[in-house]
Amino acid sequence: MSSRILNRFDLITVSLAIGILAIGLIAVYSATYSNGLDLFYKQLGFAIFGIILMIAILYIPPRYISNFSLWFYIFTIVLLVLVLFIGKRIGGNRSWFSLGGFGVQPSEFAKVATVLMLSSFLSSEEKERSIKNPFTFLKAVGIVLIPVALIMKQPDMGTAIVFSSFILPIFLWSGLSFYALIAIISPIIIAALAFFKPEYFYVALGITFIIMLLFRKKLYLTIFLTIINFSAGYSVGFLYSKLQPHQQTRIMAVINPSSDPLGTGYNVIQSKVAIGSGGFWGKGLLQGTQTQLKFIPEQWTDFIFCVIGEELGFIGASFLIILFLALLLRFLSNASSSKNKFLGMACVGFASIILFHLVINVGMTIGIMPVIGIPLPLVSYGVSSLLSFMIMLGLSMNTYRNRNILN
Amino acid sequence: MELTGKKYFLYGIAFALSFLLIGRLIQIQFMNQEEYGKESQKNSVKKITVTPARGLMYDRTGKLLVDNKPSYSLTITPAQFDTSTILEISQLVDMQSDEIKSRLSEAKGTNRFNPVKIKRDIDFKVISYIEENRDKFRGIDFQVESLRTYPNKFKASHIFGYNGEITEKLLENQVGSYYKQGDIIGATALEKSYENYLRGEKGFKFILVDVRGREVASLNNGNSDIKPINGTDLILSVDAELQEYAEKLLGKRRGAIVAIDPRNGEVLCLVSKPDFDLSVFSGSVDSKIFSMLINDESKPLFNRAIQSKYPPGSTWKPMMSLVGLASGVITTHSTISCEGSFTWGGRTWEDHGAYGPISVVTALEKSANVFFYKLGLKVGLDNFDKYSKMFNFGIRTGIDLPNETNGLLPSEEYYKRIFPKGWSQGILINLGIGQGELLVSPVQLAAYTAAISMNGLYNQPHLVKKFRNPITGEEEKNNYASKTIDFPQSYFDAVKKGMYLVVNGNGTAKNIKNSEYDISGKTGTAQNPNGNNHSWFIGFAPFNDPQIAVCVLGENAGWGNQFAAPMAAAIIVRYLSKNSQDTWNENAKIEVKD
Repeated sequence: MSSRILNRFDLITVSLAIGILAIGLIAVYSATYSNGLDLFYKQLGFAIFGIILMIAILYIPPRYISNFSLWFYIFTIVLLVLVLFIGKRIGGNRSWFSLGGFGVQPSEFAKVATVLMLSSFLSSEEKERSIKNPFTFLKAVGIVLIPVALIMKQPDMGTAIVFSSFILPIFLWSGLSFYALIAIISPIIIAALAFFKPEYFYVALGITFIIMLLFRKKLYLTIFLTIINFSAGYSVGFLYSKLQPHQQTRIMAVINPSSDPLGTGYNVIQSKVAIGSGGFWGKGLLQGTQTQLKFIPEQWTDFIFCVIGEELGFIGASFLIILFLALLLRFLSNASSSKNKFLGMACVGFASIILFHLVINVGMTIGIMPVIGIPLPLVSYGVSSLLSFMIMLGLSMNTYRNRNILN
Repeated sequence: MELTGKKYFLYGIAFALSFLLIGRLIQIQFMNQEEYGKESQKNSVKKITVTPARGLMYDRTGKLLVDNKPSYSLTITPAQFDTSTILEISQLVDMQSDEIKSRLSEAKGTNRFNPVKIKRDIDFKVISYIEENRDKFRGIDFQVESLRTYPNKFKASHIFGYNGEITEKLLENQVGSYYKQGDIIGATALEKSYENYLRGEKGFKFILVDVRGREVASLNNGNSDIKPINGTDLILSVDAELQEYAEKLLGKRRGAIVAIDPRNGEVLCLVSKPDFDLSVFSGSVDSKIFSMLINDESKPLFNRAIQSKYPPGSTWKPMMSLVGLASGVITTHSTISCEGSFTWGGRTWEDHGAYGPISVVTALEKSANVFFYKLGLKVGLDNFDKYSKMFNFGIRTGIDLPNETNGLLPSEEYYKRIFPKGWSQGILINLGIGQGELLVSPVQLAAYTAAISMNGLYNQPHLVKKFRNPITGEEEKNNYASKTIDFPQSYFDAVKKGMYLVVNGNGTAKNIKNSEYDISGKTGTAQNPNGNNHSWFIGFAPFNDPQIAVCVLGENAGWGNQFAAPMAAAIIVRYLSKNSQDTWNENAKIEVKD
């Protein structure tokens, strides 16, 4: 391919996407072939469709995407309201539309729409539209909270939590300072630390204080923020003790699955055994005892990484993570090389979503993250999730293609 | 540029988190690989489904009719199987080793860790031997199943029905996800109708298994297990002794017998001949025997009592009388002249006698065709349909067996469809004597006879009287529908009097008169284009306090009073004498009459 074409066509993203999709299809095949190949062919068909969709998005002029964002956002909000009334109830959640034999999950597309809406809002040329303006800040948070509230109503906590992943990176990209970022996240980190590892509470408090001092802002501001951090860490235990006992056990089951060995804990114990026993080279495709003996139910969706870890071993599993890392870096470099503020911000948002999915999903199967039911991008079986990630890839490619166009 | 710094900051986060994941993978796949490897070799918790025992069936007196016995099926798990032992296995279970190989190759392309069923109903000695030599026979295992057994001499194959492995189609279309591949499900008759009662609820056992799938221990000492709930027992309304007697009477002939308690719709016996041996379907079904049953031209799998439809012949005349009375065309005393034949539209219909002007009572006693030819024309198709439908002709009786036929009650639309160029009222002449397009099933006739005997009380026929919880012994009644056909009592009195005289007067079935039990009824001889006439009898007894209503059908068995009437009488006497009398005489010479 000549360099002129490469200058416009993001071959790296396409190659990485095909690589990840291929590993995903192999894993779906291995996890489901004994029950017939229906799921595999469905996933294969939608992967091909997704690639076509991705290429099609590549050719949309950025101006249209920006103008279209508001309508796309409103459309998905309407769908999220509708699904509460006419959605199909699966496993206690009302989050699906049944559309000609396929389940469509509007919350997956709401992720894309919300990132686009937020980016479009913050990249507007209006003068007071800066993230440093408190009103703009609150409006931006509101844009995210509307779909989150609707998704929590389904209730699908896992997907709702995903929305928290892209707010701060997009804010940061749109102009929030590192100092403000630290001011926002340090109370959260310190509260979490105080709750799980109280012995590190004061150490963390001290470190954040020193970091903030290094920014050489006004001293009274830093002291004020440290007091907030201190009270956040101090009050979290008190707040927890005020919860009802059944709420406490529910929180504990998410954080520490082994407290519930026959429920969610069962899956985590089994998936750790599956991945751990895979070793360096893996047991070979279709040869994983844990996978093929069906120790983990529905392992073609959220627990698909077990299949890769057991049958393809450390080689396959770490290769997949490297592919994801490369894809994330490509998103970020596309974002920073773009003169288009809107698309750049959106790419940062998408990268955050993909990273969040990767860390939570893989982390859950290897026992370092709580069990939150979200799919592994491009790998887990699921039409809506697959297509929404393909849209994100298409938009990243579009950003690369139009990086020299201002808007 | 400000963004560059932020870009590297985000790069850093992506790197850090990715290497956190890879670090953890190194930890569990390198450093602890041995430990997890052993774990995966050894103790993995596996969820095993425990199938509950299927509910049993008892007769109305508490006699056990359908029982279970445990049986063992030999399975081979291909992934673990050591093929060098195949010869020894084949000798143990008395199979050719090629046969075992072909079973295994059928399962190729599916999960090699799924056990493949090789043979059902294995001898216990073989099991103990293999159990003792576990290490030699890798991948060989057993599944405990329960098989149906039928401890009585009679067959009742069309009442009980059989079970079989769930079909792929049923599995796909099921509501919910209870059934899994390989599950046993009721396939026909009561086993199918009451599947939800009989099947019980599956339980689950959590066991620790090693990589060969061998059980090492139970999880949590079995405290986490979910116990299966055994199926509910059915207490049938069937009288086992009467059923046995009725099956003996029909013997090798083709036909059906249905007897109902008219007071509540309980089915006392239900026979369809030829029938088949249900134990053929218990355990692994021999495909040769199965295809023989399917292809048998006498259709033994077909339940003639509820699935077949025939012209009712003269057994229709009580219905026709009620249609005439209810539509006001005749009264209980008005007469119609019967000349021995009837000419209409240039065609002549014959009768076996000339009676002059007679009332409906005499017309029934003599089975006078001309009376009913004329009555048919007078009432018209609309009345004919309207009142016949009240007795569930043209619709199902609702008996608790699957695939009941509607029969055929021809309507105006029906004739428009089959005679698009128009039709003459002449069809009503044939309908008047239960011929023509009209078709009914034996159970429809039995339920209608019961309703006449009860002066219009129509009870839904049913075979299951009660449900019994096998653990607590608690019983629960089976609900059935009941309706009243609201005609003046004088109509039923006239029809019942006619039916009384058929047997006890100078009627067509005086050969079955019984001094002890006053039987009333009606013979029928249905013309049939495919061979000899079908012989019908419907009847009930005792006249003043009906306890049993019967319908007997003999396919191609000739005149109604020749075959069906004596058999119905024998059933009635047998039941009312509490199984002590037997009036059946195979070789009785009877003057033919309809």
